[in-house]
Amino acid sequence: MNAAVLYALVGVGLYSLGLYALIVHAHLVRKILAINVMGSGVFLVLVALARRGGEAGTDAVPQAMVITGIVVAVSATALALILVVKLAAETGYATLSGNRQE
Amino acid sequence: MPAGSAVTGVSWGALLVLLPLTGAMVCFLWTRAARILGLSTVIAVCLAVAGLGWQLLQEGVYHHAAGGWGAPLGIELYADGLSLLMLIATAAVALAVSIYSTGYFKRARAIRFWPLWLILLAALNALFLSADIFNLYVTLELVGLAAAALTALGGGAAALRGAMRYLLASLLGSLSYLLGVALLYHSFGSVDIAMLAARMESSPTVWAALGLMSAGLIMKTALYPLHFWLPPAHSSAPAPVSAVLSGLVVKASFYLLLRLWLELFGSVSEGIDNMLGLLGSVAVLWGSVQALRQTRLKLLVAYSTVAQLGYLFLAFPLAASAMTAWNAAAYLVISHALAKAAMFLAAGNLMHFAGHDRIADLDRMVQRLPLTVFAFALAGVSIMGLPPSGGFIGKWLLLEAALTQGRWDLVAVVILGGLLAAGYVFKVLGSAFTQAAVPQRARRVPASMEWPALLLACAAIVLGLVTLPVFSLVTIGDAFGVDEVVP
Amino acid sequence: MLLQSGFDVALGLGLLWVAWQALNSSDLFKAIVFFIAFGLLMALAWVRMDAPDIALAEAAIGAGVTGALLLGALARLRASNAGETTMGQAGNGQRRFMASRRLLWIPLLLMAAGLGYAVLSLPGYTPGLSAQVAANLGASGVSNPVTAVLLNFRGYDTLLELVVLLLALLGMWSMAGPAPPPSAEAAAVLDGLSRFLTPLVLLVAAYLLWVGTRAPGGAFQAGSLLGAAGVLLILAGWRANVASTALSLRLVLTAGPGVFVAVAAFSLLMSGQMLKYPPAYAGILILIIEIAATLSIGLTLAGLFLGGRPRGERKSP
Repeated sequence: MNAAVLYALVGVGLYSLGLYALIVHAHLVRKILAINVMGSGVFLVLVALARRGGEAGTDAVPQAMVITGIVVAVSATALALILVVKLAAETGYATLSGNRQE
Repeated sequence: MPAGSAVTGVSWGALLVLLPLTGAMVCFLWTRAARILGLSTVIAVCLAVAGLGWQLLQEGVYHHAAGGWGAPLGIELYADGLSLLMLIATAAVALAVSIYSTGYFKRARAIRFWPLWLILLAALNALFLSADIFNLYVTLELVGLAAAALTALGGGAAALRGAMRYLLASLLGSLSYLLGVALLYHSFGSVDIAMLAARMESSPTVWAALGLMSAGLIMKTALYPLHFWLPPAHSSAPAPVSAVLSGLVVKASFYLLLRLWLELFGSVSEGIDNMLGLLGSVAVLWGSVQALRQTRLKLLVAYSTVAQLGYLFLAFPLAASAMTAWNAAAYLVISHALAKAAMFLAAGNLMHFAGHDRIADLDRMVQRLPLTVFAFALAGVSIMGLPPSGGFIGKWLLLEAALTQGRWDLVAVVILGGLLAAGYVFKVLGSAFTQAAVPQRARRVPASMEWPALLLACAAIVLGLVTLPVFSLVTIGDAFGVDEVVP
Repeated sequence: MLLQSGFDVALGLGLLWVAWQALNSSDLFKAIVFFIAFGLLMALAWVRMDAPDIALAEAAIGAGVTGALLLGALARLRASNAGETTMGQAGNGQRRFMASRRLLWIPLLLMAAGLGYAVLSLPGYTPGLSAQVAANLGASGVSNPVTAVLLNFRGYDTLLELVVLLLALLGMWSMAGPAPPPSAEAAAVLDGLSRFLTPLVLLVAAYLLWVGTRAPGGAFQAGSLLGAAGVLLILAGWRANVASTALSLRLVLTAGPGVFVAVAAFSLLMSGQMLKYPPAYAGILILIIEIAATLSIGLTLAGLFLGGRPRGERKSP
């Protein structure tokens, strides 16, 4: 097992940790953190596996895909965070099951 | 034929993405004219779809190498009969929703609505046209973020909560899909669907990719039991947004699932098709019962979407009769798109008129909003699957496939689902026809909001009368691979 | 060699540990700080994988801008007393539900094992697309392969990605009211610092943009640095007087996707294929798109941090 496969496995681990946290935590900011960690895991898998054949040069295509993915992730995070802030201002809770249903 | 060659010479597919993107930015820059600019953009998109349709009829499938590189280095756009069908349904719903929105949104919200809506339209078109699984990821995210932002447009706790739930589900779905893309890329060294299809062979990695991508897309399509986000989001969004969400957005992820299944995974996925059929059956029955139990109109319509989406998945276990089953799925997708959009627009009119959507208090709507109630009833005919309507054809084809394969369980589900649908549609119509006990406060509903609902509902009915043209359209490019399947 | 693989193992375990802390720290502020640390470790991992372009983007966007967004949101949540959910708020039934969810780790562990097996069982080495990228790099107009993929080979993806970024800002503006006023004490501390740092950041951003055609860097890295400079200025209490400049603000926000779409439409008209650049002009076209994209990305990220529509009149003295 070389370093590339190691990082890919770490990526799988991050994806699973993130999924666990996404389901377990109620606070929406924690859910957003979880989505971001899952995303980082996927990005690691995408780039790391390109190097599993050894040092045979780097593949620019998955790297470009990950840069695209990072920008998409920050966009999604920003949108999700403003939703949380508005929701909390409206209901007093930053969870989906806030007690003060309308 | 100079006129014809002028039409086929244009790359309509690329325009279908670039036009609405340009429109969105122009609407954002020149807010004062957002409404008229937005509407003109949507009309231009409809014309471009017509151009693409003409091109496909003349020359067969559409290929476009973005950047001029071609697969595997570049991104390919691709359109066959199935993509065209989705694009036509999108254009039809988009036009109706856009006209409706000119009356629905007041100025302050209109200038926020149009750029978001045009970006969503561009994203849907891009999704139906893409032949590259990573590019499809970007379009999926674009669809999801735009849809979430539009859902929140209504404001208020319910809409914000619905939008948030939807956004999280959508992001989770896209990330699962993307992990599948990563595994496929590293298995076969390409993200082009056609190249992947040629190199596809069964392996544990492919199985993992199949599981991840299917699960992600099923989440976005809201198949039971991953439907939990749909009713709150679809019922709390503004009416035209609900129409787009239920009519088009959930169909986009289903289209992609169908596409992947037909092109990539069909050959390596024994057994899963029955599981999808089972979940679809549960969705049909459970969603219908939930719809029947609702007291609010928009929630009823939203749960009806959960049920109707279940029907789409009944096609998977019947895929042995490929032509019939997939035609049924395609028919159900577009007829539900039209009928459900019409239903949400009609529901929006009733809410606009009465100021609430409590079903029990909708009395005497027939006398005051006859067009809207008629639209709701016509859409209901298609949702129930009564002839002559698009919904009838779709369900009839499903029954035919189930009968020829002796799948009596699925036959029962289709019939029972239809009866339950009749139950919830008549629940609404029954209330609308009753005499009002107390006079209600009422707001005028402009014609620009009544007619789009009615015309969409009529289109869903007409769809039941034009089966042959639709079937011949779908066969362009042979998306269902009928030649290869041995019954 | 042994030392290197030891480092990789330590970094991998470190990533998992910091991620766990970011996801499960009892204090939300601490969790976010751990998340920022996680982003920085990720940047290190990208360096280890010979992906310096991603490392730059990750450090600036993944750790920097995302971290700033999270901290900004947390401050606003605390203002409405929603910074943390205590168990007291959850009902009894919900607590039992939470307890049953603790068993979730069993199916998730199985899933992780399955995915790990899928990764390990990948058939040998597939060459990917590095050979095609190398073969066509000469005609792409740039010599940094990642920039070539982003702005030429898969430019259509990047076009849509710029739209995603614009969409996030549009979405935020559609639901958020005017931006919250700046905090006075932060402004006092940061005023001097931002005066010193902003020109420096602008300089580095310009360098990254310019060098990105042949070395690690490019529009996204430069744009995210601009965004970071914007975040600093916003924290220091600086607000643009947008009443008079609203249109120019929107013009800069749409410059990136706008120029990209214009190039796509023009190339569609000229060659019948969108985003197909004539090789002789590919370099200059890419540079024009990158300059516009850098400005848009920077302003959009700063706008996202502002957390609302810019106010029509100057708020802070």
